[in-house]
Amino acid sequence: MKRARLFKGSVRPPDNDSAFLLDPHRRHVPGAARMQRYGLQGAVDMVIVGAGAGGTVLAQRLARAGWRIVIIEAGPFWDPDRDWVSDEAGSHHIYWTQTRIVGGEDPVAMGNNNSGRGVGGSMVHYAGYTPRFHPSDFRTRSLDGVGADWPIGYEELRPHYERVERELPVAGEYWPWGDPHGYPHSPHPISGAAERAWEGARRYGIEMRVGPVAIANGQFGNRPHCIYRGFCLQGCKVNAKASPLVTHLPDALEHGVEVRADSMATRIETDAQGRAVGVVYVHDGQEHLQRADVVVVAGYSIETPRLLLNSRSPAHPNGIGNGADQVGRYVMVQGAPQVAGRFPEAMRMYKAPPPEVSSEDFYETDASRGFARGFSVQTISPLPIGWAEHVIADGHWGRQLREYMRDYNHWSVLGALCELLPEPGNRVTLADEKDENGMPLARFDYTQCENDRANIAFAKQVLHDIWDAADAQDVLTIDRYAHLIGGCRMGTSPDTSVIDGDHRCWEAPNLFVADGSALPTQGSANPALTIMALSSRLADRLASRRVSHTTSKDGSRMVSVG
Amino acid sequence: MPFEDPGHLPNRRGGEAAEPYDLPRQRRGITPQMHGRYPDFDVLEQAPHWDEQTRAVVLKRLEPPPYRFFEPDERPTLEAFCDTVTAQDGEPRIPVLRFVDLALSDGKEPGFRYDGMPPDAEVWQRVRRGLDDEARALGAESFAELAPELQEGVVGRFARGELHGGVWDSMPLKRAWSVTTAGILTAFYAHPWAWNEIGFGGPAYPRGYMRLGIDQPEPWGGHEAEGLARDFQEDVDADPGMRP
Repeated sequence: MKRARLFKGSVRPPDNDSAFLLDPHRRHVPGAARMQRYGLQGAVDMVIVGAGAGGTVLAQRLARAGWRIVIIEAGPFWDPDRDWVSDEAGSHHIYWTQTRIVGGEDPVAMGNNNSGRGVGGSMVHYAGYTPRFHPSDFRTRSLDGVGADWPIGYEELRPHYERVERELPVAGEYWPWGDPHGYPHSPHPISGAAERAWEGARRYGIEMRVGPVAIANGQFGNRPHCIYRGFCLQGCKVNAKASPLVTHLPDALEHGVEVRADSMATRIETDAQGRAVGVVYVHDGQEHLQRADVVVVAGYSIETPRLLLNSRSPAHPNGIGNGADQVGRYVMVQGAPQVAGRFPEAMRMYKAPPPEVSSEDFYETDASRGFARGFSVQTISPLPIGWAEHVIADGHWGRQLREYMRDYNHWSVLGALCELLPEPGNRVTLADEKDENGMPLARFDYTQCENDRANIAFAKQVLHDIWDAADAQDVLTIDRYAHLIGGCRMGTSPDTSVIDGDHRCWEAPNLFVADGSALPTQGSANPALTIMALSSRLADRLASRRVSHTTSKDGSRMVSVG
Repeated sequence: MPFEDPGHLPNRRGGEAAEPYDLPRQRRGITPQMHGRYPDFDVLEQAPHWDEQTRAVVLKRLEPPPYRFFEPDERPTLEAFCDTVTAQDGEPRIPVLRFVDLALSDGKEPGFRYDGMPPDAEVWQRVRRGLDDEARALGAESFAELAPELQEGVVGRFARGELHGGVWDSMPLKRAWSVTTAGILTAFYAHPWAWNEIGFGGPAYPRGYMRLGIDQPEPWGGHEAEGLARDFQEDVDADPGMRP
């Protein structure tokens, strides 16, 4: 029988039952109560630090291939019904709020918009935008003379982009930019605020499209349709917005993955030869060692370098993976200025998901702009506290602040995501100050280069021009950053990178980095989808033994990377 | 349509805000100082439609939290500072500093600290000392006792980074402004009275929002009422005393 003829359009993912394992009437992960427990006596096949986008996808894939896996997660195992609220100030606890020291000439505010804590990671509070990277992102050094070329190309990620888009699932219009592609779910209806932005873009002469957002537009397994309540950044209590907590963890638990929540990894333990033997973590004030054949760090761009740098031993005196002084370097953020436009009508931008329509017309280099690479344009819809931060950043406090706040319902907000370039001096290091576990705090220094400043200034002007074209009556501007990328980048040489194209640490063959810190460049795309796709690819290669993590003393069993 | 014209906005008035007491008096629900653009909107009437967890978190804000961090002699100055930043010049007031105190005493951190800055709690204490120093230079006992125009003058210099000497030189002024105002804005705009004032629909789970288009308020309220300008003029005509 030609079964293939029966499977057309958007079908359930063939190898991930997560959406069907969820409870249609409760938001918690049903498998958590009967989760596999491995105990600390023996070694498991793999221990992963971090239950976010990178770690959870890797665990789900490999668990299906029979691997015995433990995930160590610093934050809680969320029950969205119990733990999350439809409220800005009440959602402080879903961010990584442990203190980081930020420095450099253009320091990056941390916490509420760029790092998560808890099972599901930062995707618990991301807006939901899930664009792919463009093929050009993998070769910016060759094409534009800036950034770095990746050791892998877009074509290697494409099947994994497609697979993950089906699992999340992603809703949006046919995407004309980069490698043109469609999405499994149709585009969401858009709000009046987004319509205004789109109209302005049309008159200004640029294209916008609805999506792509990883928010169900229709029933998906036991996950319901989005209800357009606007609190995507506070954790989706509906289960409509994708995060690993609902998209990969249920299936992972069903296949024997154990998650140890509220457990802070403090050190990677190594043997005399420098191989990783397991992860030391603190749970309830007690230190434990989980041994494993393979150790994967997936703690994102600040915590992953911090953990590696804190893992010093005679074999790794400067921290594991840091023999060439590369760990923590090339950390990137995206310049994310926002410009708000004022209109006569009431738009009430708090309704509908904050991400709605976007444009990638400015994504690649255009020599006439005077700088390399580019930016994307997206609608953003701040809630009241976010709007107040926007207003005060434009210089208005006191009565002026109150007046602009009272005007909230008349505004629509556009944001840019500018591709800022990787610089070796933009780095995570260890501070002198220590946390409650005796682990040094992370310090993150960040300074923009000239290309970055030119890019942000140009993008802001474009946002202003769009609002002008839309006949906005007033504009307000805020400069900010979004996202984190890099810190343990993949490359082709141990002198200029921390891991190879298979995410394997140059200095320890059974240590892998599988998160946003592995990316050598960031494009102008929100990173979540690409982090997941990379883990999906890595899982394929580990499961099919195209990348080895084993070495014998004489090297005879070492399988080469295929 | 109400407020179709942007003439009330500070950028259209040379940086001056329109007189807030010219807005209609709140008829339903509470707003800070009881004047606003949504006189018949009370977001708290929707509380029965919110999920239990959200309702508990939001309604708790109606009880002013007790002071646990700031000492009695620190409070008047910092309360006056919070009220100046949020233009609270009359009752009812959102007790902003009490919520800041709650966050500081809970040990809540925003997730980062600028290099060269002390912990947030210490920033607040230094700002208190600096504000009182400025007040003494202007001949008052403390910042709280300065005339409102002079308070605004000092805060304006703080906002523009123009304060120098003494405690102000112990930390980057720009960072101190952003640390303190972030705490103030979070406290003020987390409060349902502020949501009433700005017409924010508030929590919307499990119900959700169903009217996403332009000029389409939900059936349950949040109206920037049709004819608001006329209502307001009638209010003013009927009661000229509503201007302070």
